[in-house]
Amino acid sequence: MRFVRTALRCYPHRWQSRHGEEAAELARLLMRDGTPARSIAWSYFKGAASTRLVLHPRRRLGAAVGALLAAACSLGVSLALLSSSAPASAANHRPSHEGRHCVAEGTARSSVPIRVTADKPAGNSVVISHGQHC
Amino acid sequence: MAPGEEERRGAGGQDVLRRAGDASVLILTSLAGGSRHGYALIKDIKAFAGVELGPGTLYGALDRLERLDLIEALPAEDRRHPYRITPAGVTALRAHLDSIERVRVAGRLRLGLGGI
Repeated sequence: MRFVRTALRCYPHRWQSRHGEEAAELARLLMRDGTPARSIAWSYFKGAASTRLVLHPRRRLGAAVGALLAAACSLGVSLALLSSSAPASAANHRPSHEGRHCVAEGTARSSVPIRVTADKPAGNSVVISHGQHC
Repeated sequence: MAPGEEERRGAGGQDVLRRAGDASVLILTSLAGGSRHGYALIKDIKAFAGVELGPGTLYGALDRLERLDLIEALPAEDRRHPYRITPAGVTALRAHLDSIERVRVAGRLRLGLGGI
């Protein structure tokens, strides 16, 4: 019941004065019927969030803008991390990549540095600049 | 235009419940059988639709329907507010059920199940 009370306190004051007692009574009845208190509280939490967003359309716009900014920031950070770690990981993986996955025509391994062309992605094999296949 | 008036009229001036959500339709259907308070609504909806509305969803839908003047709260009885469907609510529910009925008939015909 403590979770439920906490959830009910998340509603706007006007809502609480209008529905608060009734909502607490409803929660008691539902718990008596066997509904878990956590699920009731969660439902009230969600209801409180949507009530606040409905009552304050500007906040809804703000929340949307905030979410977009947060997504953009996290994407930027991810890309920055990827781009900073890519050269290092490429340097670490190049010898094993050449040895394990690429087979030059007629040879099992090649110590010659290879370059993968970007304009031939067809099929399962990638044509390498001097006749090797991946 | 009063707040909610445009929402109440709906896009085509007919089925205002199309965008109101399933909970609103279930609540109006339940209230079409007589006035009820929150707990009775949840139990009735579970009985006729097999859907257990969460209390947060219920109060959200009740507020929305009240704002649209489709239901009204009656004086509290023992800390509970019974709700009653308004004439506008009856009209809206009827329009929505007609709309669903047209879709149901078309769907059954196209599935070869008969139109009735």
